Amino acid sequence: MSTGAPAVEGGRPGGWRLRAPRNTVPALAIFAALGAWQLSGLFLNPILISTPSEVAHELVFLTRSGTLQISLMQSLEEMLIGMAAGLIVGLGLGLLMGRYAAVEKVLSPYVNFFNATPLVVIIPLLVIWVGISIWARLLFVFLVTLWPVLLNTLAGIKNVNRGYVEVGMAFGLSEAQVVRHISLPAAVPYILTGIRISSGLAIIGMIVSEMEVSFVGLGFLLVHFGSAFETGRLMAVIIVSSCFGIANVLIVKWIQSRFFPWISAMAASAL
Amino acid sequence: MSGTVIEVRNVSKRYEGAHGTVNALEDVSLDIREGEFLSLVGPSGCGKTTLLRIIDGITPPSRGDVFLDGRRLEGVSREMAFVFQDINLLPWRSVVENVEIGLLARGVGREERRRQALETLELVGLRPVAEAPPYTLSGGMQQRVGVARALAIKPKVLLMDEPFGHLDNFTREILQIEIAKLWRRLGMTVVFVTHDVDEAIFLSDRIALMQTTPGRLTEVLEVGLPHPRWEFNVLADPRAIALRESIIERLHVRQGVMV
Repeated sequence: MSTGAPAVEGGRPGGWRLRAPRNTVPALAIFAALGAWQLSGLFLNPILISTPSEVAHELVFLTRSGTLQISLMQSLEEMLIGMAAGLIVGLGLGLLMGRYAAVEKVLSPYVNFFNATPLVVIIPLLVIWVGISIWARLLFVFLVTLWPVLLNTLAGIKNVNRGYVEVGMAFGLSEAQVVRHISLPAAVPYILTGIRISSGLAIIGMIVSEMEVSFVGLGFLLVHFGSAFETGRLMAVIIVSSCFGIANVLIVKWIQSRFFPWISAMAASAL
Repeated sequence: MSGTVIEVRNVSKRYEGAHGTVNALEDVSLDIREGEFLSLVGPSGCGKTTLLRIIDGITPPSRGDVFLDGRRLEGVSREMAFVFQDINLLPWRSVVENVEIGLLARGVGREERRRQALETLELVGLRPVAEAPPYTLSGGMQQRVGVARALAIKPKVLLMDEPFGHLDNFTREILQIEIAKLWRRLGMTVVFVTHDVDEAIFLSDRIALMQTTPGRLTEVLEVGLPHPRWEFNVLADPRAIALRESIIERLHVRQGVMV
């Protein structure tokens, strides 16, 4: 049977036509959009919007001069440190709250308060505390990262399939063993969702804090080029920032498929 | 005559619901003999699963006691193993790691755990898929893993809760024969919950009949057919036919159905 499949595929006249659109149509759409954008440059004020060729040119320029790399590394550094701290603390607190009802009772009003607060409002306070410094930015990234991963971990632990826990209990696992071998792994899909949301917020937190509290990083470049009406460079930095977000989503997806293949397998079988 | 391994003494189970008290089980007493295959048979809601869970200790009784070898049981018993209808294999663990779970709870070391789990998988013919993720297996194979998971702790008593309820007829028949063979070979006691009268006759030494509202045990019948039963068409045997008729009649009459 294994020899049959390719022969049928190759032998069907026009078979390529069925497959081609999958890649071609979106590619054409992108080219069309870029083309329209490029043409818009003929009619619109270059201060309002730049063209793709101009943005590409500025990207090359910013890279050649090293400005982009330096800012990127500064941003990345504070984002990663703040986010790592937020994820670890969020995960830890989420686990504690999920495991001990008393801890949840004590902490949940504060968690809900902070989660509901638009955290940008806390930036002036952070500046009063630690000044316009990397500490203010780290703290801000930490604070925006913390809540989603915490709440999702908590939800994951509380929504573990009763059947799994029952198996653990029936086979004599201790409570600590149930947490380690059953509740925690079963909560991984929730935890990953929390991480995806948190790391997305970490990027926003990084840029916002740099716009407000710094002379470094991508956020600073955005403010700088914006106030100088250098729209081409501004849009170049915007595109780099978008790439951050895309990379973030791809990395979390990769982690899930590489280390937790069962998640999508179980989701598919539940449909 | 072999001795009694499990004594169920005046066990009742009540659930306090929003609409009053439900008597899931009322004053059940039952002696289970060492090495026998006993089925609990009855309609939905007769408390057969509840009784099995109380025997294992997963569910505490509202009243009454369960004794294993004369010792009163408290909490989940370490000498009994449970086979669930909803198998719930842990999807993040491989097949063999799932079989190891009871050994993990008993503090068996990593290598010894693996060795014993593989040995048990061999017993149910699943050694070749030991490293596979459980969700890649068919329903029948998953339940074989469920049985292996229980057998791995070398239980004195195997408790099975409608283990083949979700399987198609063909797979179910194969697994019935396999479980009969395993029981003969390993010599353990089996308590088996089912609502399938033929399944109960094919497998059991004795059949305990149960009834609803309140859930209770009404009668224990001897099957009295020779083992092994997979070597002939046991269900066509006149004794089996008569037994099936009488069981169905008893279950129906008590339910108020005309026969």
